Amino acid sequence: MKKIYFDIAATTPVNPKVATLVSNIMTQTFGNPSSIHKFGQESHSVIVRARLQLANALNCEPGEIIFTGGGSESNNLVLQGILQSGDHIITSAYEHPAILNVVEALELQGIQSTLINPNKNGVVNCNDIISAIQPNTKLISIMAVNNELGTINPLLKISEISIENNILFHTDAVQMFGKLPLDLSKIHIDFLSISAHKVYGPKGVGALYIRHGNKLPAILHGGGQENDIRPGTENIPGIAGFGLAAQLATEKMAVNIEHILELEKQFLFALTKNNIEFTLHCKSHIPGFMNISFHNVQSKLLLMNLDMLGIAISAGSACASGTLKASKVLLQLGVSEKLASESVRISLGKSHSKHDVDYAIEKITELIPRLQKTSDINV
Amino acid sequence: MSKKKVLVAMSGGVDSSVALSLLLDKGYECIGVTMKLWENKDPISNVVRNSNCNTVEAINGAKLVCDRLGVHHYTLDFIDIFKKNVVDNFSEEYLTGRTPNPCVRCNSFVKWDTLIQQADLFGIDYISTGHYAQVKHEKDMSYLLKGADTLKDQSYMLWQINPDALQRTLLPLGEITKAETREYAKSRGLETAQTPESMDLCFVNGDDYSKFLYEIMPEKMNNVTPGDIIDEAGEVLGKHTGFTNYTIGQRRGIGLAFEEPRYVKKINPMDNSIVIARKDALYTDHCYASQLNWFIEPPNEEIKTFAKIRYNSKGSNVTLYKEDENYKINFSEPQLAVTPGQSIVFYDDKKLIGGGIIEVKK
Repeated sequence: MKKIYFDIAATTPVNPKVATLVSNIMTQTFGNPSSIHKFGQESHSVIVRARLQLANALNCEPGEIIFTGGGSESNNLVLQGILQSGDHIITSAYEHPAILNVVEALELQGIQSTLINPNKNGVVNCNDIISAIQPNTKLISIMAVNNELGTINPLLKISEISIENNILFHTDAVQMFGKLPLDLSKIHIDFLSISAHKVYGPKGVGALYIRHGNKLPAILHGGGQENDIRPGTENIPGIAGFGLAAQLATEKMAVNIEHILELEKQFLFALTKNNIEFTLHCKSHIPGFMNISFHNVQSKLLLMNLDMLGIAISAGSACASGTLKASKVLLQLGVSEKLASESVRISLGKSHSKHDVDYAIEKITELIPRLQKTSDINV
Repeated sequence: MSKKKVLVAMSGGVDSSVALSLLLDKGYECIGVTMKLWENKDPISNVVRNSNCNTVEAINGAKLVCDRLGVHHYTLDFIDIFKKNVVDNFSEEYLTGRTPNPCVRCNSFVKWDTLIQQADLFGIDYISTGHYAQVKHEKDMSYLLKGADTLKDQSYMLWQINPDALQRTLLPLGEITKAETREYAKSRGLETAQTPESMDLCFVNGDDYSKFLYEIMPEKMNNVTPGDIIDEAGEVLGKHTGFTNYTIGQRRGIGLAFEEPRYVKKINPMDNSIVIARKDALYTDHCYASQLNWFIEPPNEEIKTFAKIRYNSKGSNVTLYKEDENYKINFSEPQLAVTPGQSIVFYDDKKLIGGGIIEVKK
């Protein structure tokens, strides 16, 4: 059976070059980077090199990057490190759980929060941020790209607001990094979270950008690695893989974007041509990231039927148990409950071809009329 | 021609795992589903507790076997349907002094009905489970035969399945024994080869159905108060702790001592009493059946056949005939503790011809 993975927003297949590097380092460069001997020195150099690769990708200083265990961990390090009892945080209502659930936990420790709803285009309004500012507002944390909609938030404007009001600005850039240009020399962001597995790198490794001059109190304590913020013997193979993946994503970005935009255009054009009734939510989004409701077809049903044909997409936000609920994010945008329960996320990537899109379109076109007939049956 | 497709209900036990593997051996294309039926939550803290039903281990077992065999697996949430069709009925039956059989209702109204519905949604031809019963397909009608493993035969639990749903059912374990199932699972290295036998009342924590009733409907159970234990003549012999704590035929836990043991003969919710009697008084030569389901033309004339009044009973020859909507059943040998709410299942030799719910009155 042909297998097509249209769920690039969930995670990406590891680039074979990255996989080879990770594997080689895992077996050959095993020294503890803190050791003085040659074995340790080799491992240490791997980290230094990877840090440079990330600094180049983000256009920042290597000293501003620390490696972490992933995007969620980076978010936790910032929120838990910065916010003290009595502080106020402004964030959005459609952040990833790795922000929302941290805020919820911190509220029990006396931290106040304001959650801003996205507007109908799936973007946070800057005016809403300004009106939410209080004397005790310590941190603004707004995601760069939303993980269900693919919509892009105005990072530059938000950074200006944070400077004017002397508030720290964090962004969860996990969905943006490697897919859109991000130049930290041109935009004042205090903290930024990214992850390797969204950019064809290995899982279990991420990074946190900490702008020079910002002090981040540690929440984990140990042997002093990663500027004392992320202690523990470093994940050398993972870090090396992230470095290479970041470099490749940045070098090929323009070509990739062009290719993916072509595929997206082909996909949407074919749906219309085949008379499939659908709603594309949030027309302005990152390339290849489509949140679509196929009319009168329950999202879960479409997902499972496509899966059986070898085509992987996602519905709502994937959660650990594999069970699904109607997308809360779309409801926040004012989309009807029915349409929200029909929404699926289809995310295309650089490795897909026109043939992949043709195949998916063929299967979707076959499936939709049959699934529409059974839409009255509750699933 | 493309392969016929089967939706296989995977509990995470050895039986459904082997059912899946056997179907693949026969050349079917299969999809595995685990039906999430119940979450055993502590009523106060809302924390999910261990129960025999849908444990994480069981679902993971199903996923591992599907992964090994290269089959898609999905977990489907049927908690609401299970609550409505099984748990609510279970509670109501106890409140009216009857003893329900939740497994029978779960099979017909939750497993079979919803699986057929899911199969339609997926464009799938058949459904399958790991039950020990045989299903035979004839031109106009499909029917069940007892499982080849006479000790394990589960046909009794399947009498209420909609005959139309049965036409699209495959039961690959019907022709083999439990020992062969285990052997097969071991030889194929299936992860679930050693899983223990499943329990009745999978949704009840432990075996304490009484506690479950208090948790699921505390208000209604507040009205279930201690009352009189009486004999057949109506003389008060002692106190019971609440009539829902007793079932017909129960001997232990009555709390009264007699030279000759006494058994619960009758439960009277109306005057909050239970009647106890000597064992010989619990035999009866007839009963009635409601909610009948037939795999033959529903008999209008009197017929002689064979019936089982509980899963483990030996059974008896019976004569049954229609009385209004229901049927009257005369046992050729009197039966002990015929319990309203339980199932009576009719067999013609190995063939399951129908069944119903036991009633003591017309």
